[in-house]
Amino acid sequence: MNLERLPNEEKLTLCRKYYLGKLQMYVCVWGFAFLPFLWLVNVVWFFKEAFVKPTYTEQLQIKTYVKRSGLGLLLWVAVLTTWITIFQHFRAEWGEVGDYLSFTIPLGIP
Amino acid sequence: RGRACGGLVAVVSPCTSKLVTSIQLFLFFCLSDVSCNSVAQKIYVELNNTVPCVRLLNATHQIGCQSSISGDTGVIHVLESEADLEWPLSKGPNPPYMVLLESSLFTKSIMMKMKNASSRVAGVVVVQKTSPPEFSPHTTCPNENTGVYTETYDHNLAHCNTTVWNPRGNGLSYEEFDSPVFSLKEDNETEVIKQCYFDHNRVVNGSGLQYPLCAMQLFSHMHAVTDTATCMRRSSMDFSTSPVMVCDPLGGYNVCAFIRPYNSTAFGHKENESVVILDSRAFFLEDSTGAEGSVSGFVTLLAAAQALREATQEAPPTRNILFAFFHGEVFDYIGSSRMVYDMKNNMFVIDLDNVHSILEIGQVAVRSGTNLFLHSDPVSRRNNTVHDEVTNLVKNLQSSTAGLNFSLVETDFSQPLPPSSFQRLLRARAIPGIVLADHQTDINNRYYESFYDNAAHLNLTYPSNLSPEEQLEFVTDTAKSLTEVATAVARALFKQAGGNNSQVNKINADPKTVTQMLYGFLVRSNNSWFQAVMAPELKDILQPNPPQYYVGVAKSSHQANALTYLVQYLLANLTGTATNLTQSQCKKPDELPNESTYLYSYLWVQGVVPPNSTQRESFCVRTAVRLVKAVSPAFDLGDYISKEYSTWTKSQWKFIKARIFLVASRDLEMLTLGVGVAVLFTSLLVTYFVRTKADVLFSSVREPNNAAY
Repeated sequence: MNLERLPNEEKLTLCRKYYLGKLQMYVCVWGFAFLPFLWLVNVVWFFKEAFVKPTYTEQLQIKTYVKRSGLGLLLWVAVLTTWITIFQHFRAEWGEVGDYLSFTIPLGIP
Repeated sequence: RGRACGGLVAVVSPCTSKLVTSIQLFLFFCLSDVSCNSVAQKIYVELNNTVPCVRLLNATHQIGCQSSISGDTGVIHVLESEADLEWPLSKGPNPPYMVLLESSLFTKSIMMKMKNASSRVAGVVVVQKTSPPEFSPHTTCPNENTGVYTETYDHNLAHCNTTVWNPRGNGLSYEEFDSPVFSLKEDNETEVIKQCYFDHNRVVNGSGLQYPLCAMQLFSHMHAVTDTATCMRRSSMDFSTSPVMVCDPLGGYNVCAFIRPYNSTAFGHKENESVVILDSRAFFLEDSTGAEGSVSGFVTLLAAAQALREATQEAPPTRNILFAFFHGEVFDYIGSSRMVYDMKNNMFVIDLDNVHSILEIGQVAVRSGTNLFLHSDPVSRRNNTVHDEVTNLVKNLQSSTAGLNFSLVETDFSQPLPPSSFQRLLRARAIPGIVLADHQTDINNRYYESFYDNAAHLNLTYPSNLSPEEQLEFVTDTAKSLTEVATAVARALFKQAGGNNSQVNKINADPKTVTQMLYGFLVRSNNSWFQAVMAPELKDILQPNPPQYYVGVAKSSHQANALTYLVQYLLANLTGTATNLTQSQCKKPDELPNESTYLYSYLWVQGVVPPNSTQRESFCVRTAVRLVKAVSPAFDLGDYISKEYSTWTKSQWKFIKARIFLVASRDLEMLTLGVGVAVLFTSLLVTYFVRTKADVLFSSVREPNNAAY
């Protein structure tokens, strides 16, 4: 989808949709589940629109959405990185709990 | 490498018709599956006759060896002496090394030094040559935690405090190694390896080694890790459609036969029945033939069973006799603990109250002198009834050696029992019993549980001019001495079971049977007698080597290992009766009036080939021999950290292989990689430039045409 061809109001609607995570007719539940990725898309896609392009009326709101998406994304990245590091490091020591938390368990190593 | 390059040159020939023909030839070979991967065959030499060290786990430990998932590669180094270890461990300039050593250097000190330097030693390959004077990789006190001598039973006798049964044991089998350890026999493949080493890897005049060097790669990646509880838990968590089994419990089948069979579906206590158990253990491990460790015992038992057949059929004794061959005893008494568990839980045709006494045949072939020894348990003998029964059994045994060339001596009263299946039965109930062995204190077997415990250890020598069939019939001295032991055991058992004393002297074991069994189990299992007693569908078990002895995993289908089938069919042949049933009747004997599958099992065996014919005279044997599943009760109970029962499991693996090839130096590899990456980036840059400047590069040709228009 080429952002160049969209009128500014539609750009704003799209940015809001991605920020809130409401895609098409699905309920927020799905949106919340994929939020980090939606926020990443928001930041990458609308970055030029929000900060680089010359000002237009909707740009302020788009800027807000992009900033908030960016913050949310950073938070998720921090949480996930911490959890993944802890899990990878301590899974072997947790024994049974570690095995029940795993989907595939590597063969031949603890 | 030169030839492979030549092949490539042929394909890239400028002439198109030649190119087409080459491609057609290549496709033809690929489709007909003849030499599709000929480049790989030119590089690698596969080694086929290898025995790897695998990983075993129990409730607390993992033992054995593990390789990395993509194999371990190392430059081959043939170790000449213990001092030569410095080269792979510190001095050698091309680590990691794959150390090749002869069996005389396969000692604990060398292996532990290599274990500690695992960054420089990629793996170990042991070539089996001459036997060292003594070598036992088992522990000094076998099965010390699962026998009867625990702290509570008798504090002074626990943990081999009074007698260390295997003083030569170095515990090497129970160590854990991070690198693969393989074992090779001395044959053509070993010669190829040594030739490769001498051609490429020898240090000449102290100067450095020239690449390319000869290297070996070993693959033996094991799936299981930590201990049995972990791997059983991981095996049972199946998230995908096909769950991955990570380890299997060890086990197999016990072979049991009663003289007077019981209804095999009626389990539990039998009123007024008293049974004397004669058993021997099958301590098998890896590549070990266990000649003295187990074959001596169960061959004697089979001969005694044969000797008793006539007498017990003519004049059945008052008590019944059970011949039991327990499987997997080295791994914390798998077979005997299973039988005791079944008896206690009414899953066997008799129970512990029915057992009157026990006679066990231990290691009996390596005598120092003319005596054999009778071991008993001092703790249970403190009870007067047990003591009287044991004394009676000793008396029966000692009187049975009249007229034979040896005598039976009781061991010191305070000495405990050696490691034996009888200990597991004692653990459940104080039953009177004796273990017969050739050693008075520690065992005479210098190669306990190692691959040197073979025919040569028993001095099984045949005159060199005999053919294999003549060797089968030749009665060796070892066979003669075991025959006498079998005769004494059979007579004693007959008396113990309450048989008529006048019949005793007619009981004699047959030396021909004994020597044939020793030949079949220790030299060559594919001989005419074994072929005659086996079933037609099992004849592939018989090989020109001794049979495979490892206690395999307990397969869910009714598949026992080679040894179990051999013992089953031999016992059937020696104690059963030949019948006139046809093959189809043999499969469904219940339809006949006098036959019953509740009491007997019916086996169709190949039979002998008569002199002037090629057809075998197969027939149906009616026998009381049964196979009883021998898997540790810990797996039925789901108690994988059990201290009571064996918890041994064996890891699974995807494939195990070994191969040798030439390696180039690391510098050359890095250079090749660097050149490749450079070519990649250069081509990317060139493409980018050509793309951006495309109008400049390609427009100058078109301009004159544009000008014309």
